[in-house]
Amino acid sequence: MKRHLLAALMLLATLPSALAAGEGAPKPFERGSWQKLLHAHAGHPTLVHFWGVTCGPCKVELPQLGGFMKDHPGIDVVTISADLVPNLPEATRSMLNSAGLASAENWIFGDGFAERLRFEIDPAWQGDIPRTMLIARDGTITTIEGSAEIADLNKWSDTQAAATR
Amino acid sequence: MISCKSAVRIVLATAMLAAYPNLAKAQMSHQHASEAACEETVLRCASKVTPAFAPDGTLWLAWMAGGQISVASSMDQGKSFSAPVQVTRDRLNLDWGPDARPKLAIDAKGDIALAFSIFRDQAFNGQVLTTRSTDGGHSFDPPKPITANNESQRFEAIGFDPTGAVFAVWLDKRNRAPAQQRGEKYDGAGLFFASSKDGGATYSDARMAADNTCECCRLALAFDGSGHPVVVFRNIFDGGVRDHAIVTFTDLATSGEVHRVSRDDWQIAACPHHGPSLTISPAGTYHVTWYTNGKARKGLFYARSRDGGKTFSDPLPIGQLNHSPSRPQVIAGPQGLAMAWKEFDGQKTSINLMTSHDDGATWSKPAVIADTTDSSDHPLLVTDRRQTYLSWMTKADGYHFQAIEGEP
Repeated sequence: MKRHLLAALMLLATLPSALAAGEGAPKPFERGSWQKLLHAHAGHPTLVHFWGVTCGPCKVELPQLGGFMKDHPGIDVVTISADLVPNLPEATRSMLNSAGLASAENWIFGDGFAERLRFEIDPAWQGDIPRTMLIARDGTITTIEGSAEIADLNKWSDTQAAATR
Repeated sequence: MISCKSAVRIVLATAMLAAYPNLAKAQMSHQHASEAACEETVLRCASKVTPAFAPDGTLWLAWMAGGQISVASSMDQGKSFSAPVQVTRDRLNLDWGPDARPKLAIDAKGDIALAFSIFRDQAFNGQVLTTRSTDGGHSFDPPKPITANNESQRFEAIGFDPTGAVFAVWLDKRNRAPAQQRGEKYDGAGLFFASSKDGGATYSDARMAADNTCECCRLALAFDGSGHPVVVFRNIFDGGVRDHAIVTFTDLATSGEVHRVSRDDWQIAACPHHGPSLTISPAGTYHVTWYTNGKARKGLFYARSRDGGKTFSDPLPIGQLNHSPSRPQVIAGPQGLAMAWKEFDGQKTSINLMTSHDDGATWSKPAVIADTTDSSDHPLLVTDRRQTYLSWMTKADGYHFQAIEGEP
């Protein structure tokens, strides 16, 4: 009994730090999250970037996106880690941090039924990453498959700034 | 009666739940977040299951569950299975990419060759490991790397040729660093291969069949009527176009000419995570299915080649485009060809089937043969030369192994 008590107390002692580690971690992207996200950013030009920790081209693009966010404070930058098994919040957070995206609105697929999550976002999307969706102030969505050219993002951002004047 | 020990546990559990109300929720959502139904090593908890028939008609499964690879066999076409045997012992970071899975092949003696990938480091560099069993699957050698090279390797495929040699092919990043040192841009990965004359105990030195192929899709491997390996892979053609290519090997150590399967014109700097399928019918016809999102066509397609992969028929679209058709598989079985793929209608994933009795010239109307309402593995087709079967792992409904009837 002593051993069980000790084990339980040790578990209790480690819990607060384990839970605290979750702070600042990407939010779980679940069924319905996409509509909430669209709703929350309605009226704001928003860049939504889908990526994953095992995707080679994503590793190249992510820091460029960090630079874009710094240069364009008027654009809401959202990242969604869309790898199929989402149980790597640490690796995800660490890559976001080093890419300068720690302060972006970061999500991670939190439902093993990824087909359903993708269907809610775009029924035609089969899971290829990276992928970027540019949501204009008026809700118009432009999808860029594969790595985005920063020049194209800048151009889109300029049209959004012009639309406010 | 509650013992003293249990009482303490209950009290502590209650205290923990009161102190950390999110704990129970966190544990539940962890399960929800997973592709697998549970976290043990048993078949029910598997996220990926790969079937293979032995020449003697025994069905073998290799699966990924609880962070381990296990196998079991069935003498009654999947109705009952032997006690599982765990192939891996160490806690490995198994490659969980959408197109990764353990592979196995069984020779005429009943010896088993098995291969799988792991993530070797924090940067998700892969490593292909192989092992074998020479005692009918009761035990496996400790897994070892297929090549001495230490660059990233993934997406292996293995098979026994008619002489009993194991042929292995995989994607390998060994040419990346030298190219970058020369100041050159390096795209994708090399298609590398090796063979084993001792049932997978040792493999020959790795050779390259093609460089700069797409690095994140599974490979399709089959043997032609003369026993030569044939491999379909997503290539990177000029301008970053990730369309499919095919190569027929001259022998186990010599690659052949690379031909293009179709001109889909999918120019994308991304990981499609969606590889092709290949089968070769008794007539010698190559049958290929694949996914593309190209400028020329989008969705799933089928084409066949009657000249050893040099030219292919016009791509035939498969499935309903508004139902996200994905993961196509084609197999030549005793009753003709069968093709299976997934569709998703917003709620339910269904497995659709088409058959052909004229070597792919015409196909039946699609029929739904299984469905599920949670995550699932790719649908795989396998044949024991008497019948063709669907093998499909689902999170909600467990493992399906079902005979495919004749014409649906």
